[in-house]
Amino acid sequence: MATIPRRDFLYGLGASLGALALTDLQAAEKSLGPLAARKPMHDAKAKAVIMLFMEGGPSHIDTFDPKPELNRLHLKASKRTKGLAKGKRFYVGSPFKSRKVGNSGIEMSDQWQFLANPDVADELCVYRGCKAESLNHPEALLHMNTGSRLGGDPGVGSWVTYGLGSENQNLPGYVVMTELALPQAGPANWTNGFLPAHYQGTRLRSTGPPILDLNPPNFKTREHQRKALDQLALLNADHAKTHPEHADLQARMESYELAYRMQMAVPGVIDIASEPEHLQKAYGLERKETADFGRQCMMARRLVEEGVRFVQIFSGGWDSHDYLEKGHSSRISSVDQPVAALIKDLKDRGLLEDTLVVWTGEFGRTPDNNYRGGVTSLGRGHNADAMNMWFAGGGTKAGTAVGATDEIGAEAVDVVHPIRDVHITMLHLLGLDDNKLTYFHAGRYKQLSQFGGELIPEIIA
Amino acid sequence: MVSRNNRPLVAVLLGLTLVRSASQIGRADETAPVLSETRANRLFTLKILPLLKDKCFGCHGRDPEDIRADYDLLTRAKMIRGGESGKTALVPGKPQDSPLYRALLWDGYEMPPKETDRLSKEETEYFSKWIAAGAPWPDAERQLAIQKTEWSVRENEDGVIAHTSGGVGDDWTYRRYQKNDIWAFQPVKHVTVPDGGGHPVDAFVAERLATAELQAAPQADVRTLIRRATFDLTGLPPTPREVFQFRKAWDSDPKNAWSDLLERLITSDRYGERWAQHWLDVVRYADTAGFSNDYERSNAWRYRDYVIRSFNADKPFNDFIMEQLAGDELRPDDAEATIATGLLRMGPWGTAMIPQEEARQAYLDDLVHSVGQAFLSLPMRCCKCHDHKFDPLPTRDYYSMYSAFATTQPAEVDAAFLPNENRNGFSEKRELVEDLLAYAKGQQKLIQDKQEAAARLWYAEHKLPYKNENARKNDPEDQKPPRHVGLSPEEKGMKKVREQDVWIWQRRLERYEPMAQGVYSGQDDFKNGRKLRLPKQINAQWRPQNFILAGGSLEAPADAVKPGVLSATGLHATPNSDNPWSITDELKGRRLAFAGWVADDRNPLTARSIVNRVWQHHFGNGIVKTANNFGATGSKPTHPEMLDWLTKNFIENGWKIKRLHRLIMTSDVYRRSGMPVDAEQQAAADPDNKLLATYPARRLSAEELRDSTLLVSGELNQEMGGVPIMPEINMAVALQPRMIQFSIAPAHQPSRTPAERNRRTIYAYRVRGQADPLLEIMNLPNPNESCEMRDSAAVTPQAFTLLNSDVMTDRSIAMALRVQKESPGDTAEWIRRATQLTFSRVPTPKEQSRLHTYLQQMQAYHRQHKPEEVKYPTQVVRSLVEELTGEPFEFIEKLNVYEDYVPDAKPWTVDADTRALADVCLVLLNSNEFVYIY
Repeated sequence: MATIPRRDFLYGLGASLGALALTDLQAAEKSLGPLAARKPMHDAKAKAVIMLFMEGGPSHIDTFDPKPELNRLHLKASKRTKGLAKGKRFYVGSPFKSRKVGNSGIEMSDQWQFLANPDVADELCVYRGCKAESLNHPEALLHMNTGSRLGGDPGVGSWVTYGLGSENQNLPGYVVMTELALPQAGPANWTNGFLPAHYQGTRLRSTGPPILDLNPPNFKTREHQRKALDQLALLNADHAKTHPEHADLQARMESYELAYRMQMAVPGVIDIASEPEHLQKAYGLERKETADFGRQCMMARRLVEEGVRFVQIFSGGWDSHDYLEKGHSSRISSVDQPVAALIKDLKDRGLLEDTLVVWTGEFGRTPDNNYRGGVTSLGRGHNADAMNMWFAGGGTKAGTAVGATDEIGAEAVDVVHPIRDVHITMLHLLGLDDNKLTYFHAGRYKQLSQFGGELIPEIIA
Repeated sequence: MVSRNNRPLVAVLLGLTLVRSASQIGRADETAPVLSETRANRLFTLKILPLLKDKCFGCHGRDPEDIRADYDLLTRAKMIRGGESGKTALVPGKPQDSPLYRALLWDGYEMPPKETDRLSKEETEYFSKWIAAGAPWPDAERQLAIQKTEWSVRENEDGVIAHTSGGVGDDWTYRRYQKNDIWAFQPVKHVTVPDGGGHPVDAFVAERLATAELQAAPQADVRTLIRRATFDLTGLPPTPREVFQFRKAWDSDPKNAWSDLLERLITSDRYGERWAQHWLDVVRYADTAGFSNDYERSNAWRYRDYVIRSFNADKPFNDFIMEQLAGDELRPDDAEATIATGLLRMGPWGTAMIPQEEARQAYLDDLVHSVGQAFLSLPMRCCKCHDHKFDPLPTRDYYSMYSAFATTQPAEVDAAFLPNENRNGFSEKRELVEDLLAYAKGQQKLIQDKQEAAARLWYAEHKLPYKNENARKNDPEDQKPPRHVGLSPEEKGMKKVREQDVWIWQRRLERYEPMAQGVYSGQDDFKNGRKLRLPKQINAQWRPQNFILAGGSLEAPADAVKPGVLSATGLHATPNSDNPWSITDELKGRRLAFAGWVADDRNPLTARSIVNRVWQHHFGNGIVKTANNFGATGSKPTHPEMLDWLTKNFIENGWKIKRLHRLIMTSDVYRRSGMPVDAEQQAAADPDNKLLATYPARRLSAEELRDSTLLVSGELNQEMGGVPIMPEINMAVALQPRMIQFSIAPAHQPSRTPAERNRRTIYAYRVRGQADPLLEIMNLPNPNESCEMRDSAAVTPQAFTLLNSDVMTDRSIAMALRVQKESPGDTAEWIRRATQLTFSRVPTPKEQSRLHTYLQQMQAYHRQHKPEEVKYPTQVVRSLVEELTGEPFEFIEKLNVYEDYVPDAKPWTVDADTRALADVCLVLLNSNEFVYIY
């Protein structure tokens, strides 16, 4: 789908356009708006981001950072005291086997079946050195998504669209997809914060209209809407003539026309029925457990293809305090096939090289657990000292594992970096310098990392 | 550091243009006389070294283990030698040839690398001068001598030393400020109104306009004036009748007409509802606590009503301050004063999965920051970790203030209902909650019974006596049934969901109890944000130990501090004592003493802050644009003398806000047209309209938009106060599952009848975790941060909501019904009346005929297009991925309001004519003329 040139929507008004002065028209053409695409600050390796957020704190030990030593310690008493650890505790070995996959030999749990395909696995850059800071979900989610635990700061996607704009003015520049239930801390995870409202993440809903109130009520047709907009444009044009001094009027008039174009563009881009059947199947659309996430992954690819800058998908349920085996195997199997399909699809289309795919949670999990309800329940607690995430494409080093945790996965010990460094590295790949991507607010230049930090060079190809 | 700066040489090779620019740079340096060694030493000690310490040593010297680019700046020799590139970094006498200096200019290489740390032009000039003078580096002894001489002079050409309680180091304590950067800490000056007679505000504004040679716009027209004043004071549009009467009065006597109008508006109850909203924005009012559980603060509404009452009663602002900060200590037996302390409970706060000490620190940090910001226009967070970078606020003062609040504990406290509080419908509303609680308990019991039946079976099979869940808790695992015995994964999840439900509804029942979200003075003890109550006993001997926390970390206590106030204000809290900035360190009375200092007539910040806020809401911008920040990084006052004059006048006349409105609004400045006399000249001379030659337009705030729409549609119920109302909101959002710990938060169920829900927005339930999408899209502020001024950016999704939402469709139908009822069958009158209601004017003939044609087209359209009825659900099936097991499961949530619901008029309950007229109304409600105020 091609971007509709700006001029067209104004001409598209047809006869009623007479009300608009020519100068207004020119002004509209000149002002490409706050989401106009901007050049990166330095050579960019990635143009777009797809961030897959596993909410709840996926266990690194049972996903991409296997710890055989823990199997030996299984059910033995633990004396760990960090974080919220207290009371009687015992170690928990992974219920899953691990194995090396692909030519690169990245180690991951055997629950990953599709991702283990060498075609896909060799694209991954697994990072095992990140330390989060918060032990509770909302703060940790906010930290990973906005760089601040407090809430109210702009999301990573907001910063990125603020820095780079978007390639398609008929679609939101920053798109968020969630499950039916919002993640903890809700929309604060994708807020524009103190950045202008244009950079807010727009949620594409999985049921009903993809954007809230995208379409008029069922008894109003598109032609009906066009007529209403024409009447509105006429009223507004008359009004603008009496207030030539008021610059905001034009922007608000334009927003209605953009809305009208978006009504067409959004359903088009998310209409995955037009995708070939084999691809739908590849994304897992036929399987109940993968259909939802698969659809979202497929939509993410289509959005990025259309020039959307930042797409984020949330998938919850990773908070396995008990029933780790059941919980994590079911969570893994719900994302494994879609994620693998997404990477392969991006690769086949030549999109992977400049699309950065990020898979992460808000923190990792502990190697031990406490007695829950008075029983040795097999699960894991929250761990802010160790976690794992992976990247694919977008200029990251394919087929590598970077950093490490200690032998039981309690704490990151090699290539250790805080969350802000992950953010700085993501921005860097997009051609943005965290120290320059600033916004003056409340008395200081704010930046995603809060106070600066470091690149993680090991991740960059 | 990499050197890439051989620019003069490169320039010679490249050609004349560059040679010239390069030599110009050179010449600029050469023309400045080279400093004597004494002066250069002084420059190094007082300017260069502090900058190096502040911005360079962190990466280049302080940590010998980690020296970036191997470039150590700690000594002159190393600074000259350079880093890993091997090139000389500093050439004494030649700044232009020194890569270090070029890097500071961000010329090629960029140092310091952060935008925030980048040196100002003035600062880079210090380096240029210092290097030109040979880059002398006096020894420590010499440095100290220079510093001592310097510190003995309070004011010199470099600025003024601020008297404070002292920074962590002398460099900070004796640093100099530009006087205009610390303007707000100076006492409010006695100012004389400029000559020329007339209104003081006009005189001050005229003075600056004259200097800028700008001509003030003439007075706005009558309709603009009544719209402006009515929206400003009440947040609502004038009714056509009010416009008519004002016009008539104005024609005979404009002066009296205006003052009568102001009087009518200012004494209207709607006034308090509008101005309370501004204050609630600043203090971040919400009905829930945020964080993992977003627990309801069931009595927060009483604080909201207290604020409305206070504005309507024109409570002196200094009293308002005292009550909010220390009402419990001021008048312990007065429920009103207890309710007022709700201010101290407005921040988001929670305890789930947060270590207790950290949760406590977060509460106190939030209080210090938000109290500073709200009352003193000083965002205090900036000096939590270190002495303030720009303002005379030592981190010592931060922790003194922290200590002032260190005995303040959040709790739900007793507060009898006051006669003027709205308790309408309490019993009916309580019944709805009790019904939901009974349902949750019933569901909980079903699961519990099933589990215990299985447990009995297990005990029987194992030939052991049955023990209930609590009794068997600590038994060995082989002597009790497995956890969740007998329950399917679905039921396991449901068990927790129902437990959480029970909590939620029990809390909600507290809305109807004589309780308030308040505080008490007492010892630290274990707190669970779910239920905060007074402890059984208050330990009167308890005294918290407070320290400066280096880097804001609980693990890094430094100097001990006592409760105190901000020293840079010069206003002593306990004159004639050893530490005049200290206040009592008893368990009780700290806040009272602190509040007394804040509300003191002589506090240079407090009255200026509120006067500026009031001005801001009349003109879109404050005299100081950054109403929450009067520090060096905030804006400077555009009319400092006027701010001081207004402030003095405000204090001398008893801190009365209504008087201030009258003063401001009777000026010509307030009544100006928005149209510049000479647009080009004004755009050139004063593009931001700081000088107020014209009156700035503004967009309706989210609340104004909803309230005005309800007023115009004839639906607005002007009942005041009471427990939060639940407007109808987008159904998808209302039923949107929202994750909280272990469960999903209850759905948004609208109030049962139109009269209950179609009330002013200030009374609407404000949930931190979920905003009303209509309000949110219209730039409702983030509930966790203080909002000094609403944003009004036009973003595309606004158009979706305002044109397509059910909520707006319903309003347009109500408005159509209202207009039809007033003039049955008279379609021309419908158009006239609808326009008049929205725009406060009749349509032009062109508009009249165009909209009438549109109406006719839509009548034809709607005869062909029948809307389908949409039914309200009485329950919703929730599906949730069970947190612990990762298993998806479903459960039913009851929506009991809909069992007996009275809907608004809907598209399918009205005929084609009404729907057609509603189309016209909807266009009017979407138009710029409706949403902008001039």
